[in-house]
Amino acid sequence: MNFIQVLIDGLLTGLVYGLVALAFVVIFRASRIVNLAQGQLVLVGAFIVMSLLQWLPALAAVAIGLPLAVLAGLAVEKAVFRPLIGQPVFSVVMASIGLLILLQGLVQMVWGAQTRPFPELFPEGAFRIDELLINKKLLFGGVITLTLVEVLQWLFMRTRVGLRLAAVAEDHMIALSLGVSVRRATQVAWALGVLLSTIAALVLMSGNVLSLQASEIGLRALPVALLGGLESLRGAALAGVIVGVGEAIASRYLDPYSAGAASQLFPYLVMILVLLIRPQGLFGWKTIERL
Amino acid sequence: MLPSGIFFRSHAAELRYFRTVPQRIAIVLLLLVIAALPALGNDYLTGILTTAAITIIAVAGLQITTGMAGLLNLGQSAFVGVGAFTAASLYTNYGVPVPICLVMAGLMAGSVSILFSLPAMRIKGLYLALTTIAAQVMLPIVVLRLPSSWFGGSAGIGIDDVRIFGGSLSSPSSMYYLTMIVMALMLALAFNLGRSRTGRAFRAMRDNDIASSVMGVNLALHKVLAFFAGAMFAGVAGGLYAFYIRYVTIDQFTLWLSVWYVGMLIVGGLGSPLGAILGTLAITALQELVRAGGNLALGSMPQASGGVIFAATNVLLGAAIIFVLIVEPLGLTRRWNVLKSAYRIWPYPRA
Repeated sequence: MNFIQVLIDGLLTGLVYGLVALAFVVIFRASRIVNLAQGQLVLVGAFIVMSLLQWLPALAAVAIGLPLAVLAGLAVEKAVFRPLIGQPVFSVVMASIGLLILLQGLVQMVWGAQTRPFPELFPEGAFRIDELLINKKLLFGGVITLTLVEVLQWLFMRTRVGLRLAAVAEDHMIALSLGVSVRRATQVAWALGVLLSTIAALVLMSGNVLSLQASEIGLRALPVALLGGLESLRGAALAGVIVGVGEAIASRYLDPYSAGAASQLFPYLVMILVLLIRPQGLFGWKTIERL
Repeated sequence: MLPSGIFFRSHAAELRYFRTVPQRIAIVLLLLVIAALPALGNDYLTGILTTAAITIIAVAGLQITTGMAGLLNLGQSAFVGVGAFTAASLYTNYGVPVPICLVMAGLMAGSVSILFSLPAMRIKGLYLALTTIAAQVMLPIVVLRLPSSWFGGSAGIGIDDVRIFGGSLSSPSSMYYLTMIVMALMLALAFNLGRSRTGRAFRAMRDNDIASSVMGVNLALHKVLAFFAGAMFAGVAGGLYAFYIRYVTIDQFTLWLSVWYVGMLIVGGLGSPLGAILGTLAITALQELVRAGGNLALGSMPQASGGVIFAATNVLLGAAIIFVLIVEPLGLTRRWNVLKSAYRIWPYPRA
């Protein structure tokens, strides 16, 4: 029973990691931008919604906050990434580092560094099945993750818009020469990416304490996205579950012997192993250039 | 590019570090200015320049890994940390002399970096950046779990008094001179690496890895070498930092600092060690300006100032990085070269 409880907790936490990784994957999948500022996008989303929650009821705040997040994404695209279309991948990653520094500083300037409670958007507490407890908030988060994965999978695989995005992710130059607008694709990528980051922020922060350190979730999501394969939406969710469950098991059974180090190191050890054995991740495209 | 009318009669003359008389005069003047600065008696300025010089060493290492060899490294401050802990631990626990501590710090950081560059055998480019983030995240977790007699655990290591060749390093100017000498040595190494066979192999690998491997560059070896060299610089910088601050704790070597190093290098220009110098100086100057401006503006409410100044510096640095990438991808180095050629062909406009 105890072991199953650990599995359930790991699974649900893992789906939240998967949600943040999903935002990362969507931006990469649609525009081939490796966005190292993922954690900062979550942070910005969380602060936008929290400011709205101070004067509006929860539903209205979310309803206004999500379009605002889309606008923020479009602004980032226009200011930072559109001028860099056609530049080497390296410059684009550098620009995402610049964005990381900029956003973290901006959030601190606008909202300050103090910690504050984030309102409960999802019900707290847990469902009880026999002796097993299922955290309600994380369960809602998991359902949201899985729904989003399937919706996005449909968008990317079955619609014309999504297939264009895939073409852009393959190669900017070839996509341009075939008449696919790279500009439009990066717009969609950032609108969707910031939207997903904001949803992830809602699930993560609901009933928690919001501070500038919330952006560290981005660092947890990177190994997850890599494990799943940078192009794979379903892979992000599955990898989230693998990392979440592995972390939960390590934290339950190994941490007592390693003073809490095992569960913190686990995602990164997995990441290095994955890079060594299967650089494209579990379900990534095999186009990764290798020696 | 040399101005027209300057030529050499032998290959050896062309290979000299400083090829023309004005260059030699300029470098001597620069060294004199650097040597004379502490005489101003402004300890604050001396301290800032010492910190800047230490940072220049770390960023010059990053320039080798990232600029020369094209491998993005987001864990440079972890390697600085490895160097700092190594130097501090050797000095306090075993009484090893300072110069040997610095060498060991460099070698130790280099060795640790090999662990994280091993995935380079299989992968390239951005994915490598992720393993360096892993280095950054794992450093504090590992250091905190090691026996505290090694690296002090969460309390860190304090160094009471640093003595070198019988003298003390406790005054700001003595530390300044040590740092400047080490920085000059390391920069000479960095510039020289760029001229060497290995440096050319690094650049070939950066520009086109497949073509360079066809031409006989062992890619896996050179990737590991590039990481080793970059981390070695970081380790030496870390050793100096340990002796300068005389207190080493894990909180000083954050991912944030690594990201700043990359930012400084981008602003300065990735192409040459000169970029590391210009970028670090520019960002240090920016930081000091923001601090001075912030102190003026926030003089009335001191309790808020620290965080806001840090945040404002971040906003400016982030904006500067993005601006440089969009407007001048080659960074301040290119501006410097434009200025130099404008001076050379004066009074004629533009080359």
